[in-house]
Amino acid sequence: MSNNNYSHAVLSGSSKLIIDTDPGIDDSMAIFMAFQTPEVEILGLTTIFGNVTTEDATRNALLLCEIAGRPDIPVAEGSLEPLKGGKPFVADFAHGADGLGNINLPPAKAKKSDKSASEFLVDKVTEYPGEVSILALGPLTNLALAIKRDSSFANKVKNIVVLGGAFFALGNVNPSAEANIYGDPDAADVVFTSGANVVVVGINITTQVKLADADLLELRQSEGKYAQLLSEMCKFYRDFHVKSDGVYGIFPHDPVSFMAIVRPDLFTYKKGVVRVETQGICVGHTLMDQGLKKWNSSNPWTGYSPVSVAWTVNVDEMLNYIKEVLMKP
Amino acid sequence: MEPKKIIIDTDPGIDDAMAIFLAFKSPEVEVIGLTTIYGNVYTTLATKNALHLLEVAGRTDIPVAEGSHVTLTKATKLRIADFVHGADGLGNQNFPPPKGKPIEQSAAAFLIEQANLYPGKITVVALGPLTNIALAIQLDPAFAKNIGQIVLLGGAFSVNGNVNPATEANIFGDPEAADVVFISGADVVAVGINVTHQAIMTDADRDKLAQSNGKFAQYLCQILEVYFSYHHDAYAMRGVYLHDPTALLVAINPSLFTYTEGVVRVQTSGITRGLTLFDNRQKRFAEITEWTDKPTVKVAVTVDAKAVVKLIMDRLMDS
Repeated sequence: MSNNNYSHAVLSGSSKLIIDTDPGIDDSMAIFMAFQTPEVEILGLTTIFGNVTTEDATRNALLLCEIAGRPDIPVAEGSLEPLKGGKPFVADFAHGADGLGNINLPPAKAKKSDKSASEFLVDKVTEYPGEVSILALGPLTNLALAIKRDSSFANKVKNIVVLGGAFFALGNVNPSAEANIYGDPDAADVVFTSGANVVVVGINITTQVKLADADLLELRQSEGKYAQLLSEMCKFYRDFHVKSDGVYGIFPHDPVSFMAIVRPDLFTYKKGVVRVETQGICVGHTLMDQGLKKWNSSNPWTGYSPVSVAWTVNVDEMLNYIKEVLMKP
Repeated sequence: MEPKKIIIDTDPGIDDAMAIFLAFKSPEVEVIGLTTIYGNVYTTLATKNALHLLEVAGRTDIPVAEGSHVTLTKATKLRIADFVHGADGLGNQNFPPPKGKPIEQSAAAFLIEQANLYPGKITVVALGPLTNIALAIQLDPAFAKNIGQIVLLGGAFSVNGNVNPATEANIFGDPEAADVVFISGADVVAVGINVTHQAIMTDADRDKLAQSNGKFAQYLCQILEVYFSYHHDAYAMRGVYLHDPTALLVAINPSLFTYTEGVVRVQTSGITRGLTLFDNRQKRFAEITEWTDKPTVKVAVTVDAKAVVKLIMDRLMDS
């Protein structure tokens, strides 16, 4: 069943990782995968609203670390609301009221860090300049706050892998916007134009990878360390997919974007400036300049550093790798 | 079969001139009027050029109704693409002024009158910003029903725009008007630059035009230089996009294209002002969106580009 070709990550250089997360069922998958990847050293989790409120995200992050036997991992709580304020958009219809598929887990014993998420992010990239990768699985408020807090943050972070956006494809909150970017469009625009080494994995990529019902059954029947818990969580998430997309299975959005950290070779990328619309009916729309035309005057894309946008994905190899890691005892 | 009655709403424009001539050489359609709009040039000049092109074609029997000089929201600061078509809109050839005059009616009034006269029979081929069409829709609540079809050249569906990365020139010219047209409930077919960028007249095609004896071919070769050199600079290509004639072919031979159906909305603010966003209605969103329950339109998806270029070339050379 298992294929050893997939058992090792292809990491280049340092493997220090902070996961900014709103767990979240597929967040839980990605976090457990990171714990199951020895090449990755998790420095901490930072939390954000999105699939749940920030408070619930913190509770869930603490709980996931505890379940993984890693209560030592710091969890730094992030912003309670988007940059410009207001009640955050929460996708409880996809992840259940508790964010973990309504499975009623006991409360966590460990406590959150005294530091805020943005403080924690700035401290760690300052401590290890050029070595820390950030996997951003929710709205980008904490990252934007870190960029605003420390003007050298963008230069010191090794890279930021963003799960977000819908490039030349339909959104999932509405036809124009993907949920993470929609959650804080202003923050996303700050991150994309920050000059940091940003890699974006949009739903145009993540929805090409499906864990179908047969794959979920395989997971449930496996010896995977977290397979039973994830299988329980996935029931709610799977039913949501049937309802919203007619998909009998799930899109593993967060695990796919984790792959851009450990298996960047499974994607191809295109470079271009990405801006985010922050107003109107298309608020949250991600728009990339592919650089196909020489503009005869400046426009809102002119003068910013390009980011890497995941363009294609090796679906079969990725699915194999994700399943391999999830089914690892 | 009786030819289809069409009204061309136009901002001539080098590729507009091609489209107008193509219509005259197409037995499938009967041009019953031109209405004018700003875009490639200001509206006043668009009217002059429309009259001039009718004189070149010997079709001064066709009425020209002048359209709006401002956008639907009365904005007077317009984006004029004179760097694409020349200061005169026709390749800087300084043709003598036309002898003819536009009719007294405004473009919107003419559109409404003709739609009432021939309900369900008229196709409007809109080659510029959609102000006139939106005005007709607003002035006459029955217009969207009475007009047979609106074929519009506009938008960039799932690709970058040509004014900036977000937006295509015709939609950018009047995004509010475009949104009115897209959700009017009329039978709308949108042809975006994702399709028209596939129909290219190459340098070699242009040489073929020049060598033919066609009257329209000869005239076009006279005005095409500016358009070719713009494409060379902006896109590093040796050829030009056949936007307007390609869109016109949707009215002439719709089977050269394939279409998808869904709701199109236009962003009217922010950095992506003018963005055309298409919902294919495949996904059930958790909440009501700005696309929910709006009338659908058809959007061209693929084109038989070889056949389109050949048809345009053949008809322009045989003139």
